[in-house]
Amino acid sequence: MKRLVLARRETTTRGGQPLAFLVGLVFALVVGAILLRITGDPVLDVYERMWDRSLGSQNTWSDTFNRAVPLALAGLAVSIAATMGLWNIGAEGQIMFGAIAATFVGRLLPDAPGLVLIVAMLLAAALGGALWSFGPAVARSEIGVSEIITTLMLTEVASRLIVYLEQGPWKDPDGFGFPGVTPRPDQAELGTLWERTHIGVLIALAVIIGFAWYLRRSVWGYELRIAGSSEKAAAFAGISVRRKVLGVLLVSGAVAGFAGGIELLTTTTGKLNVQISNGYGFAGIIVAALALMRPSGVAAVALAFGALQVGGQAIQTNPGVSPAVATILQGLVLFGAIGAAVFSTYRLRLVDRQVAES
Amino acid sequence: MILGVTFTEAGVIGLLVAAVQFGTLLYLAALGETISEKAGVLNLGLEGMMATGAAMGFIVGVETGSPWLGLLGGAVAGAIVSLIHAAAAVGLGADQVVSGLALTFLGLGFADFIGDGYTDDARRARFADVEIPGLDDIPWVGEVIFRHSPVTYLAVIIGVAAWFVLNRTAIGLGLRAVGETASTADAAGHSVVRLRFAAVATGGALAGASGAYLTTYLVGSWSQNLTAGRGWIAVALVIFGAWRVGRVAIGALLFGLTLALKSRLTLFDIEISGQFVDMLPFLLTIAVLVVISFRARNRPSPAPAAIGIAYRREER
Amino acid sequence: MTVPAVELDGIWKRFPGVIANSGANLTVRPGTVHAVLGENGAGKTTLVNCLAGVYRPDEGAVRLGGREMSFSSPANAITAGIGMVHQEFRLVPTFTVAENVVLGAAPRVIDQGGIEALVADLAARFGFDADPGRPVWQLSMGERQRVEILKALWREANVLILDEPTAVLTPQEAVELGEVLRRMVAEGRSVIFISHKLDEVVSFCDEATVLRSGATVAASLPVAEVDASELAKLMVGDVAVEPVPVAVAMPGDPTLTVDALSVRDARGLLAVDDVSLEVRSGEIVGIAGVAGNGQRALTDAIAGLEPVESGTITVMQHDVTSAPPQRRFRAGLAYVPEDRLGVGLAPKLPVTENAMMRAYRKLRRGPIIAWDDADQLTDQIIREFEVKIGSKGAPLASLSGGNLQRLLLGRELTGEPDILVASQPTRGLDVAGVRAIQRLIVQQRDNGTGVLMVSEDLDELLALADRILVMVEGRIVGEFDPRVATRADIGAAMMGGSDRGTRPDTEEVSS
Repeated sequence: MKRLVLARRETTTRGGQPLAFLVGLVFALVVGAILLRITGDPVLDVYERMWDRSLGSQNTWSDTFNRAVPLALAGLAVSIAATMGLWNIGAEGQIMFGAIAATFVGRLLPDAPGLVLIVAMLLAAALGGALWSFGPAVARSEIGVSEIITTLMLTEVASRLIVYLEQGPWKDPDGFGFPGVTPRPDQAELGTLWERTHIGVLIALAVIIGFAWYLRRSVWGYELRIAGSSEKAAAFAGISVRRKVLGVLLVSGAVAGFAGGIELLTTTTGKLNVQISNGYGFAGIIVAALALMRPSGVAAVALAFGALQVGGQAIQTNPGVSPAVATILQGLVLFGAIGAAVFSTYRLRLVDRQVAES
Repeated sequence: MILGVTFTEAGVIGLLVAAVQFGTLLYLAALGETISEKAGVLNLGLEGMMATGAAMGFIVGVETGSPWLGLLGGAVAGAIVSLIHAAAAVGLGADQVVSGLALTFLGLGFADFIGDGYTDDARRARFADVEIPGLDDIPWVGEVIFRHSPVTYLAVIIGVAAWFVLNRTAIGLGLRAVGETASTADAAGHSVVRLRFAAVATGGALAGASGAYLTTYLVGSWSQNLTAGRGWIAVALVIFGAWRVGRVAIGALLFGLTLALKSRLTLFDIEISGQFVDMLPFLLTIAVLVVISFRARNRPSPAPAAIGIAYRREER
Repeated sequence: MTVPAVELDGIWKRFPGVIANSGANLTVRPGTVHAVLGENGAGKTTLVNCLAGVYRPDEGAVRLGGREMSFSSPANAITAGIGMVHQEFRLVPTFTVAENVVLGAAPRVIDQGGIEALVADLAARFGFDADPGRPVWQLSMGERQRVEILKALWREANVLILDEPTAVLTPQEAVELGEVLRRMVAEGRSVIFISHKLDEVVSFCDEATVLRSGATVAASLPVAEVDASELAKLMVGDVAVEPVPVAVAMPGDPTLTVDALSVRDARGLLAVDDVSLEVRSGEIVGIAGVAGNGQRALTDAIAGLEPVESGTITVMQHDVTSAPPQRRFRAGLAYVPEDRLGVGLAPKLPVTENAMMRAYRKLRRGPIIAWDDADQLTDQIIREFEVKIGSKGAPLASLSGGNLQRLLLGRELTGEPDILVASQPTRGLDVAGVRAIQRLIVQQRDNGTGVLMVSEDLDELLALADRILVMVEGRIVGEFDPRVATRADIGAAMMGGSDRGTRPDTEEVSS
């Protein structure tokens, strides 16, 4: 009798991951089509509309690019922590607190010149993100508290903090009594490159390239890789794992917080609210996982996810078609890719079933 | 008036009743997550499974006119989506954190997708409160404990059953062993894959039932974002309860109290923002986690040791 | 004659690149404690794993009570009445003793008090002293071993296999274990006792089977009628090995001095107990001993990976007792650890990043690493030490064992160290790899480097070392001159025998 088993390949297939991602994407679209089919929606029309609204024209490219910015920065934050095998699940909360910190600076310097204010607010956002990951970082490096849970918990705390600020101390006096934070000063808005594509795209690209380069080339990046390899190997090389844990989680938080700053400086309302992070922190984890935690890959996957999200919003305008399809697709891409990736490290093999005698 | 806070008897009883109601919601989901984590599988997709259960619970409930079938439908839907996580994380050895988060997306999206036509549906399939004869007349206690939806009593029964299975049966022993050191359980003849699949599916069913409880009792209708982050509170609750069925129940009542208190602050003239009350479960959980980690220096942590670790038997 | 309880007949088991068993036989009579003797790597564990269902033999028959069996998993073997206590215990630390004992063979509904009473009864029957309600993490290694034995007894194992059971026991616990085993065989069960410690075999066992290089060299010898030195000779054999050419040593000044060093292991026991030794330039000092006698703790402590309890370590006149590893490296100490992939190298990282692990602090320009220099360094190591790699950017794990070791050795030697500490440097390598590494080590010595070399392969030490120290239970128990000493002499000392060495003129060593 034979049975199927998964056998580990001697070497992983080259180019396996981009291929797995594409397989995941196709898988998601096929399952999505089946779902649409069941509800009797015109599959091709819906997908065509998604394409048109995300990648169909220069105009819509802008939305996709803009959407990819927070996804890519959150994915970068996650992948930086992953260099050492750590999980920053709380990028979502760090994005929020980054935006809070940026808003704070905006309130502090309402009359500063635009460029000064933009720089100050973005720096504050990065610092805020680092601050929000400081607790989990210290708890992990000093006591060994799982950073997975602490960062996740602080995300929920951050969202409540924003609502509190909206209702209380930062409530807009001109808001007709409705909760809502006073908008940021008008001059603190990132300009556009073309159409609606804002400068944040360029900044994010620079940050990603910078980190990709720095992590590859620097002493710090090298030490992170050794420390993440094994505690014993780190000791052999004379590297303090504790300090690396602290540093890498702070930097990861700063990058996520920075994304919050960019979002605040580019929202049309100019207001801090709980929707500022919009699930980017969580989606960023999936983006980073699909990119195998490589910063270079993060940018590409973020772009695809940006298109998926922007296209998904467009479905809403189709009467009777649920926009939720786009949310489902995002989850399905990952599961499809997980399934596909298995075959780049394993292959199916027929083996003899061993019959026992007893 | 004490310390500027106004208590009325009706107000306090109302608060405690609501605490039990919210506690039921949190307990069902957290109990399921406890079982899953006891087998070594972290499932961060709780929010997604709850949402799916909520939508399916409403649909089955109003279409059949039976809240019981709604509850069952929610549980089945929760179990089915949880199997996607089991397939990825247990079957294929994918990272549990990533797979669980993807399940959150999938579940939330799927709930909105199937519930799309049911938003603002005026139909109802709602559980009525059941008064336990003889006990519901006890002053205070009767009102707070013995006048609830059947789901609350069911949650108590399921909790006791779960405790019994986990701690007093061979299957429970095997399941806990799988969550501590999978290779040891495997060597002893327990199937790691089978037990983990079963635990994840049970967790999914309970999360789905918890979601259905929202649409068949607590809220009564379906709308987008109905779960509103309660899945994350349930994730916290498992840690707060140190992975123990009984402690998770106590934690559920405590966290339920914070949810109930939030909407009653003005009633009691408490002058702090409800947002801070809302933060409490998460901050308390962090505090508990820090204490656990401190203590873990000279004794094993109560967290199942194999959480997050995929198991594959070595091929010889 | 009675039917044997166990018969392993002509067992062959091959692994990629290694033949672990080549036609090994083992016959165990019911009601006896049967020793399986042999050096490390003789194939003892593989052979009994074929009986315990862990491996399937490539060829040969497994018979229990005369019936031929074929096990597809350990669970099968357990059902057939085989119990095995592995060297690595398979216990759930947070479970109680009773829960661990019944795991996998528990009544459907468990009454906590009931199973604790049953387990207590079972323990009492075999003379164990065990508290069934205690969590396992609180137990000593000896107590944990008893839990493992109880597990087998709970499943009514008819044949109990113990793999190096005394390695984790204190001498007193070992004596107690012997008594438990006698009770078990008194009930008609059989025990297979794997060991390489002769004194235990002589005191516990009825019969002994000796393995060498995967094959049985002596089967079912009645222990009472055989001389211990005879067994030792059978184990180590008399093979003459073609030696790597070694010139006469010209020892110079001391490079490494270890004085009264003691190191505690994770359990708080003394892994290294008052060890003093000296390595001079231009000599190879070998440390012989059975695995697990403190060699790893000794070399790790010298390299700075393990904290020192007491004593001092001096490298080239610098006291480095509490210095971090990289300071010791700069002082002239190079280290090739036993666990190459876990300690000395990072398997997932590229070749270059592994090659620069010692030197990267010197390769930096500000915060950035000078990668051209790193590549040059890597090229230099690859060239000088003839490391065969695919590409410098490929993960290290893609290298073969021999090339890994060349890279590691090459990296450690690039700083032109004064003292090289190498732990099991040739273990697991193929013949060509072994020769190459041995030649490199000898070459270092000839260039004036001092070498401290730990090996479980006595032939290797006899061929290379200028002096051999024997380590038993954390102590140096004897010193031998390889030009005069025989394998039997050193083997006896390794087994805890009384021979103190062939050099009475050296320092007194404690027993």
